[in-house]
Amino acid sequence: MTSLRNLTIKKFHDGLLKKEFSTLEITRSFFKEISENDSKINAYLSLNEENAINEAKSVDALIAQGESVEVLAGVPLAIKDNILIKGLPATAASKILENYVASYDAEVIQKLKNERAIFLGKTNMDEFAMGSSTENSAFKITRNPRDNERVPGGSSGGSAAAVAANMALAALGSDTGGSIREPAAFCGVVGLKPTYGAVSRSGLIAMASSLDQIGPITKTVEDSAIVFNAIRGRDPLDATSAEPPVGQNYENELLNPDIEKIKKLIVGIPEEYFVKGLDKNVEEAMNVAMKTVGGLGVKFKKISLPHTKYALSCYYIIMPAEVSSNLARFDGIRYSRLSNIDASNLKDIYFKQRGSGFGQEAKRRIILGTFVLSSGYYDAYYKKAQQVRRLVKNDFENAFKEVDVIMTPVAPGPAFKIGEKTEDPLTMYLSDIFTIPANLAGLPAISIPVREKMVRQAHRKEEGLPVGFQIIGKPWREPDILGLGQYYEKTTVPELYE
Amino acid sequence: MASKIDIKTLEHLAELSRIKLDKKEEEKLLEDMGKILAYFDELKSLDTSGVEPMNGPLRRSVSEASGTELKNSLREDEERLNTNQGAGADVFPESKDGFLKVPPVFQ
Repeated sequence: MTSLRNLTIKKFHDGLLKKEFSTLEITRSFFKEISENDSKINAYLSLNEENAINEAKSVDALIAQGESVEVLAGVPLAIKDNILIKGLPATAASKILENYVASYDAEVIQKLKNERAIFLGKTNMDEFAMGSSTENSAFKITRNPRDNERVPGGSSGGSAAAVAANMALAALGSDTGGSIREPAAFCGVVGLKPTYGAVSRSGLIAMASSLDQIGPITKTVEDSAIVFNAIRGRDPLDATSAEPPVGQNYENELLNPDIEKIKKLIVGIPEEYFVKGLDKNVEEAMNVAMKTVGGLGVKFKKISLPHTKYALSCYYIIMPAEVSSNLARFDGIRYSRLSNIDASNLKDIYFKQRGSGFGQEAKRRIILGTFVLSSGYYDAYYKKAQQVRRLVKNDFENAFKEVDVIMTPVAPGPAFKIGEKTEDPLTMYLSDIFTIPANLAGLPAISIPVREKMVRQAHRKEEGLPVGFQIIGKPWREPDILGLGQYYEKTTVPELYE
Repeated sequence: MASKIDIKTLEHLAELSRIKLDKKEEEKLLEDMGKILAYFDELKSLDTSGVEPMNGPLRRSVSEASGTELKNSLREDEERLNTNQGAGADVFPESKDGFLKVPPVFQ
């Protein structure tokens, strides 16, 4: 039997065509892994076993008939529970959606179904994607597969944990301020937040619409490129979605990066991301990763992104403002209802359903968002934040005149202990300090585990926790960050590419 | 920038947000919001006069501010097959004989 541990999408596809195994065998192995280990990890909220097994059989039948299949055919995926799959629950880990069943497919799901990918189940998350640890789920706390006392990161913690614990070959998450990249870094897997607009948000339960993007969480950068290429593209149901600018050989560059081009990239190192308070392990791991990246032939250049320190405040004004508007639709009448609510008139229904249905963090953000938008405070908060957002974006535009990509840490420290940051929301918000700017500016960014053996060994002696580094690219230059990431991995973890 | 929220403001915000809060929640929220708004005070020191807010390109009113600056790209106004008809009604929590059932809204 093939080991799931080093299995990637690429290897799965090759093995399937060579008939080394069947889709059914592999799908069953994943469900076996889930039934044995998920009671400990809690990555999944619901499973889709019957449909998955049927779909696996139909993929095997196609292959047996000698039909050609897409690269994602039969690939067993985990899907974050804020992405709709028709006929399956989509709770966004909130009590207010506990009984909601999706009535249509998100565009990304439709695209994956066209490729005949397989959905193992829906994964746990912070309620409505609000959090950095997956502790804000109304249903369960997901544990980090690398250390069960620690959080997997969030809000896509279930998806990252499922991939890291070999309970899915790859996963989808969503990223509003770091919700794909931070859990990927904490769990030691790869996570990509695409350029704003590259992937349709149709069928994603909205948190902050000007920041949200769906993206892949995978074992390798190459797998992220494959999944991203399958889900991207203009969708008439999302007016902000788009195709990459014409004249680029985008798809070929994504899937077959050219080392000669990658070598010529100039990598910016922003001083504002290497400040006091950065965890020692993170700093050390960054140095090691930069040395390897430098070994590929790229040049480094010191840069400054002077408004970085204002990005967190800016984000925590704009995002709740959008949250307060997006979550108004959950009124306790449509979608799903709490049954034990006794109310006598319409207003009473709203107050009680929303009061009992939303968790603490959702309530905090709705109230905060209502405040920053209210008359008398709008200029001081919301307008000011949108001005700061422009300054943050200008910083990147200026930097990208001199460099092609920017390399930074993903988070100030490795995975923290469960319960460590739940009391004070500000401490939790600070976990996203390095990931938020890319969302504000709409840029593509990837989180890649620091793979060097020496780091892995040093950390095993101490804490054994993964650390991730981030590469931020120019708008629509996913090929740069994915290309550089792939050559980094081919040097450090060749076994995943053999 | 007023960085304090008092209990009256909080109750008003909860009323606007249609969220029922109990006493304990109110106390925790007051404390948390105080800390968060104090953190936002750092923005005061940043001069943004003359900076165009990064709202959407339409900006006819506040409600159209989107923050992404993408151009609206609407689909062609042409006939097409809608495969999603009735999907909202199918999953409505309660329905009877094709009607959607809502809780009584008048006393």
